[in-house]
Amino acid sequence: MSAISGRAFEQAPKHYRRFAGPWTYLFLLPAVALFVVFIAYPIVWVLSESFFSEGNDRTSTFVGLDTYLSVLADPVFWIVVRNMLLWGLITVPVQMIIGGTIAYFIERHTDAWRGFFRTMFFLPVVTSVSVISLVWVQIYAPYYGIAQQYLSYFGIEMASSPIGDPSTAIFALIVVNIWQWTGFSMLMYVAGIANLPTEVLDAARVDGARGLRLAWSVIIPMLSPVTKSLLLLGVIGTLQTFPIVQLMTTGGPNHASEVFGTYVFRTSFVLGDTGRGATISVIVLLLALILSVVQIVYFGANLSPSSRKEESA
Amino acid sequence: MKKVLVLGATLLSASILSSAALAADKQVTVWSWFIQSTMQKSIDAFEKAHPGVKVTYTYYNYSPEYITALKAAAASDSLPDVIGLQPGSLTQQYREHLAPVNDLAAKEWGADWAGKVFPVNRKQMLMGNPSGDTNFYIIPQESQVLCIWYNRKTFEKLGIAVPKTYDDLKAAAKKLSDGGFLPLFQGAADGWQNENVFLMLANQFAPGLTDKAQAGEAPWTSPELVSAMKAWKGLFDDGIFQKGALGAHAYPTGAQLFAQGKVGMMALGSWWMQESKFPPPLSQYVTNMDGFDFFYLPPVPGAKTASPPVGGVDIGYGLTKNGAKNPEAWTFLASLTNGEALQQALNDLNDLPAFAGHEPKGDVSDHVKDLYKRFMDDLPKAENQRFAIPAISEALDNALAAVAAGSSEPEAALKTVQAATDKALGK
Repeated sequence: MSAISGRAFEQAPKHYRRFAGPWTYLFLLPAVALFVVFIAYPIVWVLSESFFSEGNDRTSTFVGLDTYLSVLADPVFWIVVRNMLLWGLITVPVQMIIGGTIAYFIERHTDAWRGFFRTMFFLPVVTSVSVISLVWVQIYAPYYGIAQQYLSYFGIEMASSPIGDPSTAIFALIVVNIWQWTGFSMLMYVAGIANLPTEVLDAARVDGARGLRLAWSVIIPMLSPVTKSLLLLGVIGTLQTFPIVQLMTTGGPNHASEVFGTYVFRTSFVLGDTGRGATISVIVLLLALILSVVQIVYFGANLSPSSRKEESA
Repeated sequence: MKKVLVLGATLLSASILSSAALAADKQVTVWSWFIQSTMQKSIDAFEKAHPGVKVTYTYYNYSPEYITALKAAAASDSLPDVIGLQPGSLTQQYREHLAPVNDLAAKEWGADWAGKVFPVNRKQMLMGNPSGDTNFYIIPQESQVLCIWYNRKTFEKLGIAVPKTYDDLKAAAKKLSDGGFLPLFQGAADGWQNENVFLMLANQFAPGLTDKAQAGEAPWTSPELVSAMKAWKGLFDDGIFQKGALGAHAYPTGAQLFAQGKVGMMALGSWWMQESKFPPPLSQYVTNMDGFDFFYLPPVPGAKTASPPVGGVDIGYGLTKNGAKNPEAWTFLASLTNGEALQQALNDLNDLPAFAGHEPKGDVSDHVKDLYKRFMDDLPKAENQRFAIPAISEALDNALAAVAAGSSEPEAALKTVQAATDKALGK
């Protein structure tokens, strides 16, 4: 319990405190029941499945940590880890930089068209992933694709599709992801900029801060709670990546664009290896847990301007 | 107030009556990825022939929706009465949840019923069963034969004859490319399309060898299969496939471009005929299949013969253990695979029948009848296109992609398929 909430409890009126007692924990029951049924039970089930292996005769045998060792020794697993690292390290900062820049220009330099630009840049976020994947497969298609049409004006001919080349497939998908999700970062920064206290900005201006200096020294530091939130959401989003990859490359060619989502899906549902799929899921879960703990340790609960105010109160 | 009471009473009686009507109907539940409009025609025909039985069909996209739904339903023992299946790996994944249909089929169609199923289908029905298990867990509804479809109007316009040799094929691809068309559209981002073309090639060198290889009776590194893999790479390098094929999908991209007349050739199968039965507007090429005809892949360098017909079961159905408790479920399954419900699917040119003795009826042009007859003549001698173990087909898909991308040599890629086969077979 934080100092703030502890203080709030002490200051609570007496008629609230007299209800406090062991039986009041019953009020937690609905939340606990939902957690157990929909979160804890599936996790425990997946964990238990990861210790079993199904043979050709469809019988399950206990194999302990064998599947974990086998997954860690699988070169495909390390391709997936590399892809996920690339995905997170590229998409999260690039989306934040582009989204933040767009938000700054929209909020500071547009007036009548503000709503229009906000909507246009946010449009990809609410567009169906199926539509996005169809459009981008056409954009990337060499010879008859949309990008080729424009490139041909400059005498450039695409020799192959970026999503068909193992060395470029993951980057081509990252570009699509950035295109889709930059609007979300923009919207978060728009909300952050709209909530900036005008007196601070006015004071900075009186002190002579303008343009880049104002953005760099005043606005960006004041938007750090939004940046931290986007970082947290970006890491979670990276680990959850699935539909765009499944629809555009299904993780291919030859696993070159495989991500955790497609790897788990392929193993569990296409190959029918539930034990191995569960093992990979547990590894992803542990990874998510570690990353979350690291972020909480570094950032605490300081992810919104209001929490910042409370802390400084 | 009076009006409200009357309305309430009316709604209550309507609800009681409709519940009673529903209760009187015997229910059959079906899940599949089979095209919804055609399935509805099949259900209508079945319900007309079997008054008092109501079939509820749930359509899913095959991947990921259908296979995910099946997995979840199997885990919670809530599978419907009848499920759509592919022979081999998918059937084997759910074998424990399926009822053997040998006795029901014999009772329905006579003791020699299996003899009426085309040989390649019969072989696929048992594919992946444990040694000694002669039960059938899948009844095929439709068959397919793989081939190279071509746009005959475009061929005629550019003065291209149906390729008989590999050089003809190369020349045809070049003429098409020069003429602003896509040559042979390969959706090489889709493993299934790559497998289909590889099986056409492999069966040119040694018919049936891939079957032996997947069963562990012959090595994947056999010289014939290495030659087939080299020929596969050649299709990319020789400009027969369109540029960037590795990033392209057969559906919807390739099929749409092909239907619009922007593609010269495409490796598909007998199911392509159904395009002519889709709701209008249809392109001039698709209408009555006027723009299309097919040939088998001509012999590639090192091979002596063109590809033989390769194919088998397009889709089949299984009776779940839940469905085995419901007599109407089998009645529907029998109708869907070899009865009045099947006839509706054939009339929609959905594909070829799995049992002998059926043909489409109704509004079918002479050209389509001719195409259909040629496929039906070839079906009895078709080579198998299915894999019993998904890990092997997955390894082959990856090997084909690696060779096509130039990141692996044919022999090295086939060694990885061999390793996957050994692992899957427990060697």
